Amino acid sequence: MRVLLVEDEVRLAENLCAALREGPGFAVDLAPDGQMGDELARSGCYDLVVLDLMLPKVDGLTVLRRLRARKDATPVLILTAMDGKASVIELLNAGADDYLPKPFDLGELIARAKALIRRGKGSAHPVLHALDIELNTLEQTVQRCGAAVELSPTEYRILEYMIHHPRKVVSQRELLEHLYDYNWEHHSNVIEAHVSNLRKRLQAAVPGGQPVIETMRGRGYRLADAARPVAERGA
Amino acid sequence: MKWFFYRRSIAFRLIAAVLAVEALFAVLLVVLSFGYERHTHFTAFGVMLHGRADTIMGAIQDSEDKEDTLIISKSDLRLPGEDIWQALDQDGTVLGRSANWVAPESDSRAKSRDGTLSVEINGRHYAVLEMHGTRFVDPDAPDGGKLHQVTVFYGAPTDRVWHAIRGGVEFYAAGSLLLLAITGPLIAWLLHRGLSPVRELANLAAQVSANSWQFSPPESARTTPELAPLTLAMENVLARLEKAFRQQRVFVSDAAHELKTAVAVIKSSLQVLTLRPRSNAEYEDGLERCLTDAERLEGLVGAMLTLARVESAEGAAAAPASCEIASRLDEVVLHLGPLAELRGVRLNFSEGAARGISVAMSGEDCFILLSNLVLNAVQHSSNGAVVDVIAETDEGGVSVSVRDRGEGVDAAALPHVFDRFFRGDPSRARSTGGAGLGLAISKAIVERAGGEVSLENNADHGATAVVWLPAVAGEREAAARERASAVS
Repeated sequence: MRVLLVEDEVRLAENLCAALREGPGFAVDLAPDGQMGDELARSGCYDLVVLDLMLPKVDGLTVLRRLRARKDATPVLILTAMDGKASVIELLNAGADDYLPKPFDLGELIARAKALIRRGKGSAHPVLHALDIELNTLEQTVQRCGAAVELSPTEYRILEYMIHHPRKVVSQRELLEHLYDYNWEHHSNVIEAHVSNLRKRLQAAVPGGQPVIETMRGRGYRLADAARPVAERGA
Repeated sequence: MKWFFYRRSIAFRLIAAVLAVEALFAVLLVVLSFGYERHTHFTAFGVMLHGRADTIMGAIQDSEDKEDTLIISKSDLRLPGEDIWQALDQDGTVLGRSANWVAPESDSRAKSRDGTLSVEINGRHYAVLEMHGTRFVDPDAPDGGKLHQVTVFYGAPTDRVWHAIRGGVEFYAAGSLLLLAITGPLIAWLLHRGLSPVRELANLAAQVSANSWQFSPPESARTTPELAPLTLAMENVLARLEKAFRQQRVFVSDAAHELKTAVAVIKSSLQVLTLRPRSNAEYEDGLERCLTDAERLEGLVGAMLTLARVESAEGAAAAPASCEIASRLDEVVLHLGPLAELRGVRLNFSEGAARGISVAMSGEDCFILLSNLVLNAVQHSSNGAVVDVIAETDEGGVSVSVRDRGEGVDAAALPHVFDRFFRGDPSRARSTGGAGLGLAISKAIVERAGGEVSLENNADHGATAVVWLPAVAGEREAAARERASAVS
């Protein structure tokens, strides 16, 4: 999952980036002011925006309003040091999904971020199911037919992303955008290698089981349809 | 008198004053009316005495007998029975007297101003008139007739006159008392009505609170000449208070924001460390960061407390301190020298003729003021740049200008640079650790000392901060002046 963090306080931003990367393993992009935050958010490749309110150049509320005016439904978590119910009401009415008053607890921030991403993908429960796979987003563990599957962090994230988008053809580029922040230089063949490993490990857990990830040549990957065996469609 | 009016209402004082004046006038009226009544009644009494004495004189003119003796026939006289009279011839022969005539004792006679004798007979006071007349009997007689020198004493009791006088005085006194009795309640009622704009104003003023500053004085208070200045003053005071309150609220909100952010930084720094087990080196690094964050919080709290101290009214009322500005500048340059060197900035200091001039602030405040300005300039200078610090005498004071050659201040931000928590370039100010309070503190210090401070962009590049402070007689100067005056 890729998160956009818009925060001008340098040290707080550093800590938040570290926490979001280390904890749930999100890819985090940092914008130090509202203007840059607004520009980055336009790319539309974020699964969550964490937005400070008091920002230089363009304030957080304006960034939020512009986002919603573009019909962008990306979940937005607001960080605010302001008091008062009025500002909270204004925030929620402007399209914020959640807010955290400063000084906040990092654990709570991570939990809320995860919940917002889940709900943004249409699932409220932290344990996701697809085919015979059970993915626990809290513990970041994967089970297939009750057997644990050991995955690397990147493999886990690819699987989580694909389970969040069940019938969608996910391009390598999309995976790149959502799994890595702009600080990383990656090529699509990295994704190819990770997907290949992921397939192997999922297959190893249940020998002879149905393939989980289909390759759509030249377009990307797709989670297999549970109703029809892959073999049939391939014929 | 003071105790009487102590803690009394204005209405009470006015009523008391009016009644006192009225009572005084009543007493005066009674005294005057007594004098007037006495004068008129006694004048009338005198005329009456004359008239009655004349009657007797007339009776003497009419009386005649063959022996040339004069006998008054009492039957012809119609005089009040209580009056006393006696008519004497020149040789003391009694020509006639009233039945109740008693020869007054010689020592009881006292002549009063109007020429009557005051006599006491049988316990009653009489005023006795002495009238002289002549009677020429038989002027046609061969011996030329006989001339009688007649003296008539006529007296009437004065108690009736006094009674009448008392009646008149009593009338005036009763009238005054009645007036006095009516005036009290009447004034009270009129005052109650007349003071209604004051009550209305007080009621409206009582509704003003920290949450509701709405104060619209009634038209009556605005148009009443006595209340108009008060109303205006109240409106102004409230407007100023509201502004101060709003500023304070903004300050508190900004301060809360800064403090919460600083706490959030420390808290998150610690929580990041606990996210997963780390190596000792990572812990050490993390703790160092936490320490830096805590120091920033410390600096923020310190700056806020300094600002609060400088801006507080108690601080301004404290004993006026003075300090010599040039030596403080030396200290500042010495203090910030290493930092400037670290950033590759050269501090160029010239003191002009400013040495020896003192300004009205404590040495500590002066140091804070000057170091804030110089630090600001150093922080906005690039490597290798020069910061000029120039002190010179100027218009009865001293001006210090600090000129940097940085990028200057954004024109839109220029009016706000002295606002509290304002940062010209937030991201950079945060990275340098400033809370946006330095210039606000400087301004508060300068204004308390009665000076002025401004920040302007230079024509080429960079900005110049100029402080002007009025000179005060420092200890050394005062001592020198004393010596000079002692010599002269």
